[in-house]
Amino acid sequence: MSSNSKQRAGATYELERGYRRMIVPAIIAVAIFAIVPLAGMLALSFSDYHLIRGSNGEFGLRNFIKLVNDKRLVNSIYVMSVLSLFGVAAQVIIGTAVAVGLHKIVGRWRLGRVLFLVPYAVPHVAVALIWLSLFTPTLSPINAFFDLFGITVPSFLTSQNGAMFAIIVADTWTNFPFTMLIILAALQGISPDLDEAAALDGASRVKTFIFITLPLLLPALLMVTLFRFIDSLKHFPMIFVMTKGGPGRSTQATNFYAYVQTFQNSNVAYGAAIAVLLFLMAALISFYVAKLNQRISS
Amino acid sequence: MKRLLATAVAATLAFGVPALTTAADEEINVVMFGMPYTNGLQKLAGDFEAETGIKANIDVIGQDVFENRITLSFTGATGDIDVVHTPVIQVQRWVAANWLKPITAEVDAMAVKSDIMAGPLDAYVINGEQWAVPYMAATGLMTYRKDILEEAGVDVPDTWEDMLSVAAKIHNDETAAIAMRAVPGQGFNMFIFPMVMRAYGGKFFEDYTGGDLTPAINSPETLEALNVYMKLLNEYGPQGAGNFNFAEVNAAAQNGQIAFALEGTGVVAQIVDPAKSKFADKTGIALPPAGPAGRSPAIAVHGLGIPASAKNPELSARFIEWAVSTETMTKIALSESFSNFTTGPVAQNPEVIEKYSKVHPDFLTMQADALNLAIGHYRPLLPDWPALGQAIGENINAALNGLVSPEEALEGAEQDMKDILGM
Repeated sequence: MSSNSKQRAGATYELERGYRRMIVPAIIAVAIFAIVPLAGMLALSFSDYHLIRGSNGEFGLRNFIKLVNDKRLVNSIYVMSVLSLFGVAAQVIIGTAVAVGLHKIVGRWRLGRVLFLVPYAVPHVAVALIWLSLFTPTLSPINAFFDLFGITVPSFLTSQNGAMFAIIVADTWTNFPFTMLIILAALQGISPDLDEAAALDGASRVKTFIFITLPLLLPALLMVTLFRFIDSLKHFPMIFVMTKGGPGRSTQATNFYAYVQTFQNSNVAYGAAIAVLLFLMAALISFYVAKLNQRISS
Repeated sequence: MKRLLATAVAATLAFGVPALTTAADEEINVVMFGMPYTNGLQKLAGDFEAETGIKANIDVIGQDVFENRITLSFTGATGDIDVVHTPVIQVQRWVAANWLKPITAEVDAMAVKSDIMAGPLDAYVINGEQWAVPYMAATGLMTYRKDILEEAGVDVPDTWEDMLSVAAKIHNDETAAIAMRAVPGQGFNMFIFPMVMRAYGGKFFEDYTGGDLTPAINSPETLEALNVYMKLLNEYGPQGAGNFNFAEVNAAAQNGQIAFALEGTGVVAQIVDPAKSKFADKTGIALPPAGPAGRSPAIAVHGLGIPASAKNPELSARFIEWAVSTETMTKIALSESFSNFTTGPVAQNPEVIEKYSKVHPDFLTMQADALNLAIGHYRPLLPDWPALGQAIGENINAALNGLVSPEEALEGAEQDMKDILGM
């Protein structure tokens, strides 16, 4: 090895060592703010701790055995699945459609993109309050408008399907811009030469999108679906503000049910067990989608 | 490496300096949820600082998030709250969890103690210790549209039976007959529904006052009450009434979309306030309707307590004494819709009397009548009440919105009560 290449190798080693050192604060931060609370939650889930009655010092699988026979948990998983599947599907479809539309816009109109980002900037509680008003017949301008023509808009928040629809609409409105941003970035990474080549070969715009653009977008679509899906498992503000889990208990998604057990029923240990289950579900989905993403990319 | 250390030191200082500043200054943090008194108190924080030199950071948040905020603070014993809004319905739970500091000696030393109404003050005595000082005692009242009743040629309903027949006569597409809180929650539908339930002789436990806490909500009396509540809201309520909370009831009354509202006095004061409601001059006030077992207006006492983790309880006690003083209470009664004060001399202030007589001539008398009729354990004063109230409220709301039958709802509510109480 020449002295020059030795110098280069030494410099590369020093650089890598520097990078490794720079990672240390991040590792410490993750350990403090993620791993420690996670370990605490796991320990709580095996305990019998109750906010009012305290603990008898018992540790075991009691809470997890209770989970298996809990009908309210089953209902909460159903609610969470419906909200997540339909919500994320709507966000990805609308986000992609808007991104494709905005991608072709040029000149000063490109500033119009900012408009589509507004819902994403609004805090979730404010979003929920806006949509609660819109779905409350006595407050809603939509109902007032249709009333002028003698049309009665149904009350969405008093039936399970209607309430879930309302939550999905509010969630989609505030979260589709995230999907739009990721897809827009991915579209900008696709060479326009491919479109031009397809046009020269006589392919229509729709065919070009389906057979050329969409396959190239697949990794981005998968990634954004994964991000949104994991985030959607944490349904809370929309439910808390718009329905309080009602009618009855019909919109209590799993995360909300964990809140009810922890804060309303003071059953901290059982709430932690539900949270652990939710964490495992999210981890499993992430792992599976990451594998799928790897396969598609390769 | 030097840069890294410098960054770490800067970060440490950035986090450390505010803590040092807080410790050096006389400053307290007060956390409350939004209502006329707390909003008024927040505006007077400067007066407290001018009088005592102590800076009070009064944080007024939504009722929904309040419980989560204080539960996280109390369980973590963070000491970041010096004075906390203490609803009487929560105080048993907080005392059982050792979240509050007993303040018997502090309250005994307050000059204002003899001016505070004895009933609300006693509501905060548990195991011989005082745990909070009341500032308001809200109750439940009914508002009605005088013009609509006159046009229909009917009297103000005195019983729930009367209400059913009047509602059938006046309900139409333009103006619904009645709205009440329906959304599930111990402070939401379970603040209102017991007014109907107790009027029909329904009860939560076999013998609450005698100490028999066997759940007894699944009774023919409660079923009858639930059927009345459901019929009124489903047949004579506005569209979407099954998801109404106090904000929606208030808005519907102020916009003239309903003829009757059954609400807490805090909301009633806004419905009849000409400054806030377009229909205030056409709105009357009455006691909640009676049933075969009599009349049972709601009651909710609110006060101020000191968390067990508070770092400087002496400053907290000084703040509470100032906050419930006749002078402060009078200022708030005059600036806000705040009439359910518990510091007696405020009611003798001529300006206060004049103000509330102008808002509505019957308001103060009706409120006093309702408070005289209310029973202290309208909602059971138990540590487990928040969980019980939530579970019962969910079942009642499920029946109201047709998810289960009324019979199934009461059966479910009783089973949930047994599960929560470990029976």
